[in-house]
Amino acid sequence: MADVRTVLSIRGAERRYRADHAALAGADLDLHAGRITALLGPSGSGKSTLLRAIAGLERLEAGTICLGDTVWNDAATHVPPEARRVGMVFQDYALFPHMTALANVAFGLTGPDKQARALAQLEAAELGHKARAYPHELSGGEQQRVALARALAPQPAVVLLDEPFSGLDRRLRGELRERTVDTLRAAGTTALIVTHDAEEAMAVADELALMDGGRIIQTGPPDEVWMSPVSATAAKLLGDVEIIEASVAGGQAGTPFGPVDANGFEDGQPVWVLIRPRAFTLSLDEAAPFTVTRRRSAGPHLMHRFAGAGGEWSAQTPAPSPIREGDRVSVALDPAYVRVVSR
Amino acid sequence: MRLAAAFRSPGHVVPGRATSLAVLAAILCAAPILAVVWIGLSGETGDYLRHLADTRLPTYLVTSAVVGLIAAGGAGLIGTGLGWLMARTEFAGRRTLGWALILPLAVPAYVAAYAWLDLSAAGGPLHAATGGLFPTIRGSWGAGLMFALVLYPYVYLLARNTFSSQSADAYNAARTLGAGPLTAFWRTSLPMARPAIAAGLALVVMESLADYGTVSHLGAPTLSIGLIRAWSGAGSLVDAARISLVLVVIAIFVFGLERAQRSRARTVNAAGRHNPAPRLQLDPGRSLLALIACLIPLALGMVIPLGRLAWLALHTDTAPGLAAASLHSLTLATITALLAAGLGLATAYALRSRTAIATLAARAAGLGYAVPGAVAAVGVIALLSGTQALLDPAWRALTGDVFPILLTATGGALVFAYLSRFAAAAISPAETALAQVTPSLDGAARTLGAGRRRRVWHIHWPLIAAGVTSAGLLVFVEVLKELPATMILRPFNYDTLAIIAHNFASDERLGEAALPSLLIPLVALLPMIFVARYLSRPDR
Repeated sequence: MADVRTVLSIRGAERRYRADHAALAGADLDLHAGRITALLGPSGSGKSTLLRAIAGLERLEAGTICLGDTVWNDAATHVPPEARRVGMVFQDYALFPHMTALANVAFGLTGPDKQARALAQLEAAELGHKARAYPHELSGGEQQRVALARALAPQPAVVLLDEPFSGLDRRLRGELRERTVDTLRAAGTTALIVTHDAEEAMAVADELALMDGGRIIQTGPPDEVWMSPVSATAAKLLGDVEIIEASVAGGQAGTPFGPVDANGFEDGQPVWVLIRPRAFTLSLDEAAPFTVTRRRSAGPHLMHRFAGAGGEWSAQTPAPSPIREGDRVSVALDPAYVRVVSR
Repeated sequence: MRLAAAFRSPGHVVPGRATSLAVLAAILCAAPILAVVWIGLSGETGDYLRHLADTRLPTYLVTSAVVGLIAAGGAGLIGTGLGWLMARTEFAGRRTLGWALILPLAVPAYVAAYAWLDLSAAGGPLHAATGGLFPTIRGSWGAGLMFALVLYPYVYLLARNTFSSQSADAYNAARTLGAGPLTAFWRTSLPMARPAIAAGLALVVMESLADYGTVSHLGAPTLSIGLIRAWSGAGSLVDAARISLVLVVIAIFVFGLERAQRSRARTVNAAGRHNPAPRLQLDPGRSLLALIACLIPLALGMVIPLGRLAWLALHTDTAPGLAAASLHSLTLATITALLAAGLGLATAYALRSRTAIATLAARAAGLGYAVPGAVAAVGVIALLSGTQALLDPAWRALTGDVFPILLTATGGALVFAYLSRFAAAAISPAETALAQVTPSLDGAARTLGAGRRRRVWHIHWPLIAAGVTSAGLLVFVEVLKELPATMILRPFNYDTLAIIAHNFASDERLGEAALPSLLIPLVALLPMIFVARYLSRPDR
């Protein structure tokens, strides 16, 4: 965290399409120099609208967007996208179908050497040999790389990527993700990547921003956000979680698996107890109140579904395991994966 | 959400002024039809119409129904069959035939009718060669046949596109459930193509009912004949409007039927997957049969009639006035085509804004395509005479003179009627072309620093040029072929190719009618080839 200079700052961004539905309801976000921020949220949470607003493709009804000291959006200003020079990679890549890969990359460049610079950019993406190819002659992964090269070529202050890996198959996705991150790092670019895939967000991000209902609900380094979600919604965005309703008594919140530390909440306060599946440790115990209802393999580990005490939960357990369906088990919690938040 | 956002986003190239212009023009296109409805419902019933209702109207209606049904049946069979062959099979010559089969659209039905009646009537070569066994092409069935032969491309185009975009999954599923190839086709592929076929048939029926030249030459008195007689014989605008109203009602009924049968059933795979069917490679014997099946409609609809007319033209002295008529035809067609293409493009841009007013305007302009040219002409007359009656008192008070006659002083009224009828034909191609410029392409260009001018000329135009050009060319061909509206609205002594061909043909001077008749499809052929090739591009 040596350099945390804020490049772009968004404050109170609002945009509604219908009277009763706000796509952006006062979103705040900062992008820091040279860092990759992943914007994670369910579909309809306003991620793409925020991205488009930064690019200038969407007007804000209220709020500000500033690049350093330059105001892009406020009550009086709307700088058009062509004057912002952000780089944007669209979900469908939006490659110009009537232009070659080279012409696509050169589109945003000016000056006598623009062909040479475009070619250099393509070569950096290891696509120099495809310079004369038209978009439909390229594979999905190649198209994505041309789109990224096109966005980076004019050396924009900020690069925005809208679900850039969604159109690709799983195996290619991982490979291209690494490559994209490497390219962005090599260029030293400040980047914002929109995604609805938690795993992807955590894999690419220096900083994670969670979005829900048109607001940014939490930001921070990915592992920190994962370990300390500020709300049930934030926890659910990042993966499977069991949510238990509880009240605080004696500095502790009660759960069917015993009390947990109330994280500073006062007695009598209603809270949610958030438990990641990996927090559970199951042990065979004929006298215990829980019964395993289902067991399935999930690659390197197992998922055990167990019921009892008026509920049913999922535990992620190490494989192999002697515990079978129908076995009675006792349950222990690892407090590292348990979090208490306000209800 | 993302999609909805994209649609509503600002920053498309939609200059507000162009939008309002498009809206105004589109509403103007609909005005003649609204005028027809208004006059038809409000004017007094003339003697002609009362007389008509007592005597001829039932005949007109029955003839219209018979002609429409035969045209639809014939065009449906030819169009669907050829559409399937082209979409699902592979044989030598398929690519060329794919677009060549669209070309009979360049031949006006009345031109085919002149030639076929001449060939098959007593004294004609077909009649003589078969010893009178070949039936004379005339009457309702003859007219229906002519329409089927030159209008089947409408069905063919729509059916071909549907068959080639149909997923093979439904057909394959039917096969795994025990249906043979024919049953599977009959129960899955064909019903899935039904909306497209129905849309094509609706166009065929309305074009047949709009025709005047064919039915008058072959003696099949449809409503169009009644309409023209009411106007040019009895001189009654109200009666003409009333008959027009009947045609409008039929148009609404035909297109309503087409919509209704679509109803709730979807004909695209709900799962959204697309698994295009592989083409069936035909063996040499069947390839030959397929080739013959394609060449027969081309021969009957185009080669034989045009050949006969060429022969006649070569054996007759050229009639005077042909050069002037050609010039008039070309001028009218060019002006209308340019205006329609511009209007279509402007409306397509306006539609991109997704505003209610733009949608309304596009639908309003679309009304015109459903009604016959003669109806549009009657509407223009009603509109212009109404305007004249409205402005005359004020004009007199100001200048002491009678208000100048707006009606037929220039070709303006004619172009107005053409636009009212054909502008809609240019809107949907422009819309399709512009749909290729997705919002994200626009967005990409903008984030790369391209201003409006650069986006229009470097992104939009290269992508839409062919589509907009072929829309204009299609209107050019339609205007070239148009007869009834031209008859009603042309300035005095202002002949077009269609007019002189019709005049000679109705005087039984077919030799002199041959050259102007031949010139229409010949002039129309080049633009039609461009359109046909555009519509048959592999990526479509």
